[in-house]
Amino acid sequence: MKVTDIVEKIGLKVFSGHEGLGKEVTGGYASDLLSDVMGHAGSGAVWITIQTHRNVMAIASLRDLSAVIITCGENPGDDTMAQSNEEGLPVLGTDLSTFELAGRLYSLIG
Amino acid sequence: MKPFRADLHIHTLLSPCGSLEMSPREIIARAKGRGLDMIAVADHNSTYHCELTVTLGIEAGITVLRAAEVTSAEDVHSLVILPDEASVISFQDWLDRHCTHMPHNPDIFGDQVVIDRDENIIREINYFLPAALNATIDEVEEAAHNHGGLFIPAHIDRPAMGIIGQLGFIPDDLFVDAVEVVGMAGDLLYPVIRNSDAHMPEHIGRRFTDYMLENPSFSELAKALRSEGGRHIIQHGR
Repeated sequence: MKVTDIVEKIGLKVFSGHEGLGKEVTGGYASDLLSDVMGHAGSGAVWITIQTHRNVMAIASLRDLSAVIITCGENPGDDTMAQSNEEGLPVLGTDLSTFELAGRLYSLIG
Repeated sequence: MKPFRADLHIHTLLSPCGSLEMSPREIIARAKGRGLDMIAVADHNSTYHCELTVTLGIEAGITVLRAAEVTSAEDVHSLVILPDEASVISFQDWLDRHCTHMPHNPDIFGDQVVIDRDENIIREINYFLPAALNATIDEVEEAAHNHGGLFIPAHIDRPAMGIIGQLGFIPDDLFVDAVEVVGMAGDLLYPVIRNSDAHMPEHIGRRFTDYMLENPSFSELAKALRSEGGRHIIQHGR
């Protein structure tokens, strides 16, 4: 399944990083502690978080994640989106909570 | 110039997690007893006990700096140490504007009270003080510096509520005056200080930092963090 399929099936907003919508999604990881994601998220995973700081992009890129989904209607900062565009690593968004989104995502790709 | 011992992260009873014994008077007495030359009171997102503690400090002959432990939107705690009374008033106003007013339950989290010098309760804060402000860490840093203050990410080596735990690493464009560690620091790019993060009297001075200064004061501390004019951090201790 590709990032674009998740966007369509769950109805996510695409903030930035459109170039990366064709990336293959191999799993998911939900956490708001960036140090935890840095140590544990698997390559190709989509990362669900409410953190919007630009460090999110550095860590997503370090772990070679397929996309970041920001929950609860939060918006990423301009610098976060700029880096997402630069790296072609999509930042997506939803009004759903992390719990609800993780449930939907799990039934799609789990 | 000579060495001065400082513990720059002490909560008063205003912080919900602060013991009710942590009155400004008790803090001053304990700090003197521990041989500290300089302390800073740093309550969660509030400065209401700064002036009283400064006054009692002057009377007792110990330097008290005004500070707050600020929680940014990312749940990162940072010490903001302020230069004077005017900057505290204006910084408190900034805190008030970014406060999210989360409801507080004293039965679970503890009381949040402001007292006077006779230890009468003069005010109770009814929102949860440590809650994240609606200000990013960059905005907290900017506000600290706009008020002439020092911006010091707190307990960066704790698994959560510190900048490394929450954000993975310190962004290189964040202007950090120093970092506070709980353990012993390895090689870091920033000046490193250790403080007690005391929430009860017996914790005051359990961690401290010795500085080479002309006198114990805000301006001398700022110079020491920049290693200016012979001022510097000498060592950390417990």
